[in-house]
Amino acid sequence: MPAAVYISEPIVREYIGRAVRDVFTTMIDCRPALPPPVARAGEPAAVVMHQDDPQVVGTVGFVGECSGLIYLHFPLPFARLCTGRLLGLSDAELAAVGDEAINDAIGELTNMTVGAFKTGLCDAGHPCTLTIPSILRGSNFTVEMISSAVRHVYHFECSGHRVTADILMRSED
Amino acid sequence: MLRPPRDCGYPDALGGLSRGAEANTIMRYKVLTVDDSKTVRVIVKKAFKPFDVEVLEASNGLEGLAIAARETPDLILLDITMPVMDGVEMLIKLKADPALKATPVIMLTAEGGRDHVVKIAKIGVRDYMVKPFREEILVEKASRIIDLKPAGESPTKARSLDDPADIVIVEDKPAIVQQIQDGLKHMPWRVKGISTPAEAIEHIAKTPPDLIVASLSLAEEGAFSLFRTIRASIRTKYTPIFALVVKTETAQQQQAQTLGFTAIITKPIELGDFEAKIAKALNLDTSKRYYSVDGEMLVMRLPESCTAPVVTEAGTYLKPKFSEAVDAGLNKLVIDVQPLKALNMTVIKLLLQAMQTSRDLGMQFALVGNPQIVAECKGIEDTRTWKFFESMDEAKANLGKPGPSTTAAPQLAGV
Repeated sequence: MPAAVYISEPIVREYIGRAVRDVFTTMIDCRPALPPPVARAGEPAAVVMHQDDPQVVGTVGFVGECSGLIYLHFPLPFARLCTGRLLGLSDAELAAVGDEAINDAIGELTNMTVGAFKTGLCDAGHPCTLTIPSILRGSNFTVEMISSAVRHVYHFECSGHRVTADILMRSED
Repeated sequence: MLRPPRDCGYPDALGGLSRGAEANTIMRYKVLTVDDSKTVRVIVKKAFKPFDVEVLEASNGLEGLAIAARETPDLILLDITMPVMDGVEMLIKLKADPALKATPVIMLTAEGGRDHVVKIAKIGVRDYMVKPFREEILVEKASRIIDLKPAGESPTKARSLDDPADIVIVEDKPAIVQQIQDGLKHMPWRVKGISTPAEAIEHIAKTPPDLIVASLSLAEEGAFSLFRTIRASIRTKYTPIFALVVKTETAQQQQAQTLGFTAIITKPIELGDFEAKIAKALNLDTSKRYYSVDGEMLVMRLPESCTAPVVTEAGTYLKPKFSEAVDAGLNKLVIDVQPLKALNMTVIKLLLQAMQTSRDLGMQFALVGNPQIVAECKGIEDTRTWKFFESMDEAKANLGKPGPSTTAAPQLAGV
């Protein structure tokens, strides 16, 4: 198995910033802002993302010369808003379709975001493929990483909500 | 060919039509979306909702192949990363199947690396779209492969005069816009005035109207460039566009006709004619102008001015309306020509046709007329034996009673 490719933080930041901007602007007509990162490689492995607010978290991995996993954390009210905009549903219709529609919509937004991030890696000469999305729901939880991973966390401000991209990448052997 | 569409499960995808109405829709093209994300399938359905297209769904390549074999879609939108069978495998199998290999495929996927795209393009796809995607771009790309037509053109979706419609008037003279708005305010149509082609293009792109009226007096031949822009967009390709022009500007009228404007409206505007042209362009059911049900009887009423187009329009609905009435248990008919100002041969033929149809269907009928029409009828060979009631009430009171006034024979109609 080839050694993992090291991608510098500014490149990761550029790729994820562009990916989130493209996906959110195109699909839900929202312009996210990205302030400076709050955590980098070498910082504490366990990052508490949110304390009490219910979250819907989409996860998609990428496997190849670059391998890793990206979690996109959506506060539940924003997940609802995104779903409504994606599917063209009113609040009442959204309530009728339930959590399944929200999970699927957030899964797809995450898939598109990680896909756009991965396209940057591929075009830079690091081919990789996507995994199937999965969804995590809950509040007051942490995502921990193993020691061989590099972590980057970015908080996006979007329509008064905070969306967090938590990127775990396999580090160099 | 009747192709009831499938329910994707989310309410918006079913849109404004009832399930029953949708089931009766005759679909022209089939588009198969193969994606494990229901969200994407719903977005695809939403994108094609304004068009005469049936959208089929599959959640993986295996399902996609089965549906493709059964339904022979006209276009397949294919994702790559899916469980069970991914999009690349499905594409390879599709291209290996002699019956399906010609089916055009557009890849719609989050897998967007250059090398990836090149590799898949070599297998044979018509286009490649990387998510995120805009619905209008998807429709635009699909329209290069299949001839998308607006759903409203379906014959089972005829609208009536009671239905709302959005009309955009592109005219830089507020007085003209006001005149049109005032003249059409009795109709359930929303008439919006826009003063420049640029603003109109922006508005129309966001909210495609049902009909557009463009003034040919706009600066720099703005109406003509507006026409071309509107026709170039798949969403407004078939939207009726009227040219508004001064009566004496024959050269401009000729130019508009050559370019393909739906109708020419001359200034000063004759609002009745304008309204009729709108109804025709929107393919509205105008039967209520001539036919109504009053209690237990059908009423056929001719307007004050019965020009040839009016008679033709009234005649178009005659047999269906009479049959519909009989089918609903109504066997009495009042033919009311009180508003009519003058008789002519086309009107006489229409009335004879009404009487004959009434007789064929076993309906009793009576005529109601004004003194002018009654007098004119006396002077014409074909109509001299017609007898009229003086009012609707009189006709209603006498219809159904035994005697010559209620017989179905034309010459004995009325008293």
